[in-house]
Amino acid sequence: MDDVKRKYVIPGDVITTGPYRAEDNVHLFEDKLIATTVGISEVFDSGVRVIPLTGIYMPRIDDFVIGKVKSHTSLSWEVDINSCYPGILPASDVFGRDFNPKTHELTSRLKKGDLVACRIANFDRSRDPLITIGDRDLGKIDDGDLIKISPSKVPRLIGKRGSMIQTIENATKAMITIGQNGYVVVSSEDADGLLKALDAIKMVEEQAHVPNLTERVQEMLGIKSE
Amino acid sequence: MSNILDELKKKKVTSLLNDGQRIDGRAFDEPRHLTIDVGVIPKAEGSARIRLGDTEVVCGVKIQPDKPFPDLGDRGIFICTAEILPLADPSVEPGPPNEEVIELARVVDRGIRESGMIDLTKLVLQKNKSVIGLFVDNSVTDYDGNLFDACSYAAVSSILSCRIPKWEIKDDAPSLVEGEYSEPPITTIPVSVTMGRIGNHVIVDPNADEWACMDARITITTNASGNICAIQKGGSNGFTQEQLFQCAKTSISTGAKIREIIKAQGK
Amino acid sequence: MGVKKTDIVLLDDKGIRCDGRKIDEPRRIMIKAGVLKNASGSAYIEFGENKILAGVFGPRDVHPKHLANTDRGILRCRYHMQPFSVGERKNPAPSRREIEISKVIKEALEPAVMLESFPRTVVDVFIEILQADGGSRCAALDAAAVALADAGIPMRDMVSACAAGKVADTIVLDINNEEDQEGQADMPVAYMPNLGKVTLIQLDGVLTPEEYEKCVNTAIDGCKLVYEVQKKALHEKFFGENSQ
Repeated sequence: MDDVKRKYVIPGDVITTGPYRAEDNVHLFEDKLIATTVGISEVFDSGVRVIPLTGIYMPRIDDFVIGKVKSHTSLSWEVDINSCYPGILPASDVFGRDFNPKTHELTSRLKKGDLVACRIANFDRSRDPLITIGDRDLGKIDDGDLIKISPSKVPRLIGKRGSMIQTIENATKAMITIGQNGYVVVSSEDADGLLKALDAIKMVEEQAHVPNLTERVQEMLGIKSE
Repeated sequence: MSNILDELKKKKVTSLLNDGQRIDGRAFDEPRHLTIDVGVIPKAEGSARIRLGDTEVVCGVKIQPDKPFPDLGDRGIFICTAEILPLADPSVEPGPPNEEVIELARVVDRGIRESGMIDLTKLVLQKNKSVIGLFVDNSVTDYDGNLFDACSYAAVSSILSCRIPKWEIKDDAPSLVEGEYSEPPITTIPVSVTMGRIGNHVIVDPNADEWACMDARITITTNASGNICAIQKGGSNGFTQEQLFQCAKTSISTGAKIREIIKAQGK
Repeated sequence: MGVKKTDIVLLDDKGIRCDGRKIDEPRRIMIKAGVLKNASGSAYIEFGENKILAGVFGPRDVHPKHLANTDRGILRCRYHMQPFSVGERKNPAPSRREIEISKVIKEALEPAVMLESFPRTVVDVFIEILQADGGSRCAALDAAAVALADAGIPMRDMVSACAAGKVADTIVLDINNEEDQEGQADMPVAYMPNLGKVTLIQLDGVLTPEEYEKCVNTAIDGCKLVYEVQKKALHEKFFGENSQ
């Protein structure tokens, strides 16, 4: 660990004491900031947080996630977003303000099994999270394979400023969309490229903690590193 | 007991405790009034009905010859059970015992068994072949918290006041001798004391309202020599070491007072 | 306690116990985190001759729905012994003892798990005893706590468990099967090492008040030793072999 303000932690470890704010995965008890999950703790100016190395996806407002439609009522769709709570997509989000349950049939736009790129619009733990597909880069995903990785590995798959994902996309000519929730959609016109992309993603997930991962992935994809 | 205490009541219980008071006016280490009536079920070999505050338990002892457990042919059998009857509380459903009732029965049984209250070696008819079995069954008829102590006091009182029939061996099998009885072979009187923790306060013999707000509970059984013979911690929270040591001291002193009440039961 | 069936010497005049240990020495403990593919988290423990597997699922949806709690998640726990785990084959159906132990283990974990982070969900902990030796409920708890951490379930602290007892009039740490059968008292304890709270304590057997205090302190010392093994297991899985 080269950065002195970071530490490996397990639940119960006291990260530091003092007037800090407890952020993600940190619990304040008396004046102690305590890690609540296995991960890497970070102390920055105002707060303390732990980057978890395991655990399910917990929705956060504005997160970009990929979901799979599970079911619907006359007013909304229920979407699997790889969390312990389903995402709720209100029909008005898709049909607009003049949505009318009597005349608008939900399955005409989205049905069970469809994949959607969406954003978490609202979430407080007392109710299921609300999702939206209103923005330009959101909406139904027409083709591609859905694979699931551990949400804690998503930052590694994206890489610094997107470097890892670009490496894989360029080498395989595949298009990869990564949701913060660990759902990833991979599509490619080239069947070989698709398989290589899937293998590369699997490798990143399994070896996220191993050093020199970028070189290994490049080697696996047949790219000569500079 | 799934008593969903309303939030207002819980706040009231807690703020009273912070002021050094309990919702029914008792001191923190004071158990409720205990009344014991023995011999209430003449057909049983021993029985008692007790009321601890508004909690009521009826206990019956049946004594009959039985086969000894394998490996334990030189001692009699003691089995203690507990059941919460549906008439004890609206939330109790008839049916097979749930984990709460199973824990209750096992804790009451262990408190008495581990104390060695009954000298089981004196209950042998034919070594390795037939022994006397004491079956002690508790039924809770009214719920107001702390079934652990209520069932224990009922069982202990029933055992103390029971009469053991006489069997003699005829044709290699036990045969009842009518009209002859003996006193049970008692070595000590175990007393269980259950304490609940609410915030940082520890209170003895929680009633139903206090039981529903407890963070954790501990049941400690002591014998007449002031030694500890069984402990069970329960509930979704914990105790500090200091609290554990204090609870042991309280169980010994409060237990001694309750032992006097049990000894004095109408005999 | 009756006629001794065997000739084992529980404590000899050099202070050595029947299995060669000193009075404050625990049995061999080994824990491995993350041993199952499908469970959200898992752990395997060998504690003396105990061999126990723990798996965690969740947080997940509660079925049947009426069991869900709107304010906080619920914890469900199942301690179950395999039929081949003990000397005489055990009936696979849950016994009253297993049901009580399941409850006691759940209540030992609840103070640590931050269930308020997951309202309306359940965390399921499944513990399978593959081979039983004395102190299986403590070993089970040790594995369950590691499995919960492996699954990323938020916890205020770890939970570490170890038993102490009285054997040949002496307070000893971590009693084994023979000491449990022939000894004078058995006290399993679970402890949250950073917060300093005891979340499980039971006692079978008779102790004077002084012995009781010594026994509690001895068991807690044992819990602290186990905590180091749990920490090592998690560090090995997540941070690589030599990260401490």
